Amino acid sequence: MKILLDKISFDIETYIRNGGYLAIKKAFSMKPAEIIEEVKTSNLRGRGGAGFPTGLKWSFIPADKKNKYLVCNSDESEPGTFKDRELINKNPHSLLEGMIIAAYAIGANEGYIYIRGEFAKEARILEKAIYEAKKKWFLGENILKSGFSFNIKVVRGAGAYICGEETALLESIEGKKGQPRLKPPFPAIVGLYGGPTVINNVETLATVPWIILNGGKAYSAIGKGKSSGTKLFSVSGPVKKPGVYEIELGTPFKDFFENQLGGMKEGERLKAVIPGGSSVPVLTAEEAMKVTLDYESLQSAGTMLGSGGMIIIPERQCMVEALWILARFYHHESCGQCTPCREGTGWIEGILKRILQGKGKREDLNNAKEIAQNMMGKTICPLADALAMPVISYINKFEKEFVYHLEGKCPLCQK
Amino acid sequence: MSFMPKIKIDGKEYIAKENETILQCAQRNGIYIPRYCYHPSLSIAGNCRMCLVEIEKMPKLQTACSTIVAEGMNVFTSSEKVKKARKDVLEFLLKNHPIDCPICDQAGECYLQDYYMDYGLRKSRVSLNEKVRRGKRRQLGDYLILDNERCILCTRCVRFCEEVTKTSELFVANRGDHSFIDIKPETSLNNPYSLNIADICPVGAFTSADFRFRQRVWFLKTTESICLGCATGCRIKVQHNDNTVYRILPLPNEETNTWLCDFGRMTYKEMYSEDRLNHITIESQEFGLDLDKVFDYIKEVKPQEIAVFLSPNLSIEDNIALYYFASNVLKTENIFIPSLPERKIEDGILKNSDPYPNSTGIEIIANKLKLKKDEKTSEKFALVISSLEIAKTYARDSKGIFFSLTKSDMNGAIVPMKSYFENEGTFVNWQKYARKTTVSVVNEKAFSVFDVMKRLAVLFGSNSFFSSLKDIEKFISSNGIDKEFK
Repeated sequence: MKILLDKISFDIETYIRNGGYLAIKKAFSMKPAEIIEEVKTSNLRGRGGAGFPTGLKWSFIPADKKNKYLVCNSDESEPGTFKDRELINKNPHSLLEGMIIAAYAIGANEGYIYIRGEFAKEARILEKAIYEAKKKWFLGENILKSGFSFNIKVVRGAGAYICGEETALLESIEGKKGQPRLKPPFPAIVGLYGGPTVINNVETLATVPWIILNGGKAYSAIGKGKSSGTKLFSVSGPVKKPGVYEIELGTPFKDFFENQLGGMKEGERLKAVIPGGSSVPVLTAEEAMKVTLDYESLQSAGTMLGSGGMIIIPERQCMVEALWILARFYHHESCGQCTPCREGTGWIEGILKRILQGKGKREDLNNAKEIAQNMMGKTICPLADALAMPVISYINKFEKEFVYHLEGKCPLCQK
Repeated sequence: MSFMPKIKIDGKEYIAKENETILQCAQRNGIYIPRYCYHPSLSIAGNCRMCLVEIEKMPKLQTACSTIVAEGMNVFTSSEKVKKARKDVLEFLLKNHPIDCPICDQAGECYLQDYYMDYGLRKSRVSLNEKVRRGKRRQLGDYLILDNERCILCTRCVRFCEEVTKTSELFVANRGDHSFIDIKPETSLNNPYSLNIADICPVGAFTSADFRFRQRVWFLKTTESICLGCATGCRIKVQHNDNTVYRILPLPNEETNTWLCDFGRMTYKEMYSEDRLNHITIESQEFGLDLDKVFDYIKEVKPQEIAVFLSPNLSIEDNIALYYFASNVLKTENIFIPSLPERKIEDGILKNSDPYPNSTGIEIIANKLKLKKDEKTSEKFALVISSLEIAKTYARDSKGIFFSLTKSDMNGAIVPMKSYFENEGTFVNWQKYARKTTVSVVNEKAFSVFDVMKRLAVLFGSNSFFSSLKDIEKFISSNGIDKEFK
C-alpha cells in the first residue's frame, strides 16, 4: 500500500492526471470542522518525529481568531533522515494540496514552508510548484471560487539544526536567532507573529489529500493498531538497497530488512539499527529483528519511531566513534539557551573524544552516562534528550567496545 | 473578583494570585526558589533551569519562574528529585566556569558561590584543560567590565538593555557552549543606566569599573538613604567601610525606583573630589573652621539688605533653619525661593527634568510660610545666604554666605558643607514622598547648614533660635508643612 510515493508527479499536469487537486474540491464542499474530524478519525500522527495526533493539533486553533498561520516544517536536518526531501522531489504538489486543505480547516490565509537551507534544489522545486498552482487558481485569492484565499511563501533556513524545532523555526521565520521558545503559550495560541499557528511536517501534510478523498476510516484501516497509515523510512547504511521506502506501519523490521532492503551487502553483518533518526536509542540486531515498525512496538523496545530516519550499522563500525560523531553534531547544534544542554553536550563530546583517542579514564563511562541522565528532561526543547538517549543506549548496549578504547586498542576502528 | 487558585507548596496550602507564577507565589510566602535568569523586573527567559520544581502529575520537572499557578497544583520545592536537579544544573553551570573566585570582584555576592554552598557541594569532575576558554576583562563602557568566562548566559543583561533602557546594545553571539555576551558593532555600553547591569549580573561577568577591587564586599556596611541626583529621589543603599563610601546601589521599592541611574550612583564622588572644601574661605582667604569669622563678615550689613534664598539642594530641616534665622535673628523679610524647573520623568525610566532633590519640598515650605518667589531682577541685595548653586544664579554680584561641598571662586564666605551622606535631612521628591538621608560616614571638617545658623544666631545675641533638630521638627509640624508630605 502506497499513498505518498504511489504515483510520482514532477509537475502539475501529471499530478492532476494522477488525480491530484481533487481533494481540495471535496474539502471546499466540507465544513472546516468536518475536515478536522475526518483527520482525527484517520488517526494520522505527526511524521516529523514526535507523533502528535494531527487532527487534535488542528483542533487547538481557536476558530474565532484572525491572523492564523500554517507552517510546513521542511527543515529536515536529523542525521539519517531524508524522506521529506524525496517527497518534495517526487511529489511536490501533494504537499501543496495538503497545505491548502489544512489551511482551510484551521482558517489560515497565510502559509510558510520553512525548508532546510541546504535543500536549494528542493526550494526551487517548491517555488515552481507554487507558481504552477497559482496559475491554475489552486493558490491565491478566492481559490476555485470557494471564497477561501491562501498563499504560501518558501523560507529557506540558514543551516541550524535547532530550527527544525517548531518554535525555533517560528523565531527563524520572524528573522530572529533560532532558539526554541518557552512553552506555554503553545504555537496553537501564540505562534508565528503572535498568531495561532499550526506547524506540520511535510509528510504529514502530504498525507492529508488522500485522507480527504478516501476518508479517515479508510486511512485508519491501514497499518497496525494505533499506528495508522503508511510511513516513509529513509534507510542508510550498508544494506543492498538503501533509499526512501513507503511502508505500512506495523511492518516487521525483519520483513522490511530482508525483503525490501535486500539485507546487508556482501561481507557485512548487521550490528545495530537506529530506527527513527539519530536521536533515538539504538537497537541491537537481535532487538531489531523482534520489532515491528510502528509507534507502539518501538516504544516498548525502548526506542522511538521518530522521523523514520533508519540507520543500519554494520558489525565493523566502532560504536564509540559513531557515538562521538553524534555527540559532535549535537554539541555543534545546541543553541546554548538552557544550561544543561549548552554545557552537557560539549562535556559529553569531550569525554567521548578522549575515550576514542585512548585517553579515557575508567570513570568516564559512568560519568558520560550520568551527565546524559542529568541533561534529560530539564530543558526547553528536546535537543538535550536527543543526545542523552543515544549516549545511554550506546554505552549500555555496546559497553564492550567502549572498554576496548579504555584498555588499549579497538579492533574495529584501530584507534 | 478575580479567581484565586488554591495551591499546595511543600505540603502547605496557599491562596495564590491569578496568573502568578509558582516562583512568585512561593516567594510571597517565604519559600525561596533559587534562580539565575529570573529577575522580577525583566521578562521571563526560563533558560538557566535552576528553579526547576516538582509538580504532582507532571512527569518532568517544571521551571517555577515560568509556570503559572493552577487550582489544586501540588508543588514540591525541595524534594530529593528537585535537590538533585539543582545540584546537576549547578554542576553544568560550573563546567566551563573558571572558578577564579580569589581574583573575582563578585566574590561574596555571587550566586554561584551561594548556591554552591546551598545546593551543590560536589567535587569537580572537570579538569582545567577541559574548560571552554572565553574572553576576559573587556571594557564595554565607561563603567562596565565584562568577563565572558564567568558568564552563565542567563541573559539578564541582554534583556535589561532591550526592555528597560530599550537601547539593545548587547546580544548573545555564537551558539552552544561557545555562546558569549557581545556588544553590537560600533556601539558602547554607555546608556545612562548601565551600572544596573553590574547589579543584576548574578555572577562576576559584569563588574563595575568604578567599584571593582576597591573593597571586598563582605567588609561593606550598608545604610539606607536616598539619592539626591534629581527630583526623582530614588531610594538607595549606601555601602561604606572605614568612613569611606564605596558604592551606591538601588533600594528597589514600589513608589519610585527599581533601578538607579549611573549619574545618581556617582553622586558620592563629589565628597572625595580634589576640590572638596574643608575650611571656610572668605574673599579667597582661608579661615579654618572658625564660624566667628563668618559672623564678622556679615555683622555690619543691614538686615534689610540681606536676602535668604531657600535652596532645593538643601534638606527641609536646613531650609527651615535658613528661614528661621532670616525671620527671627536677622529679622529680614527678604526670604525667597528660587524659580524651580518643571518636574517630570524625562526618559520614561527615572531621570527627572528637575536636577534638584528638594524643589517640591521648598515649594511646600514657601506655600505654608507665604514666601515670595524669585526676586533676582526686582531688587539688589548686599548679601545673600544660600547654597552655592542657587547663589550662582541669584548672587552673582553680591557677597554672601554660601554653603558648598567644593571650592569656588565666588565672592563671599564659602562655608564647607556636609554632604547628605554625612548628614541627615528630609527631602521631598516630585511625587511628594518625604524621605530622610542617613549618616553613612562622618565628616568633622564641614558643617550642616543648621550648625552654622545656630552658631551665627548665638553670635548675633539671639536666644530664640532652634536648639536642636527636634525643635525644627516641631516647627515643621506646627506649621502644617509635613501634612503635605506623602
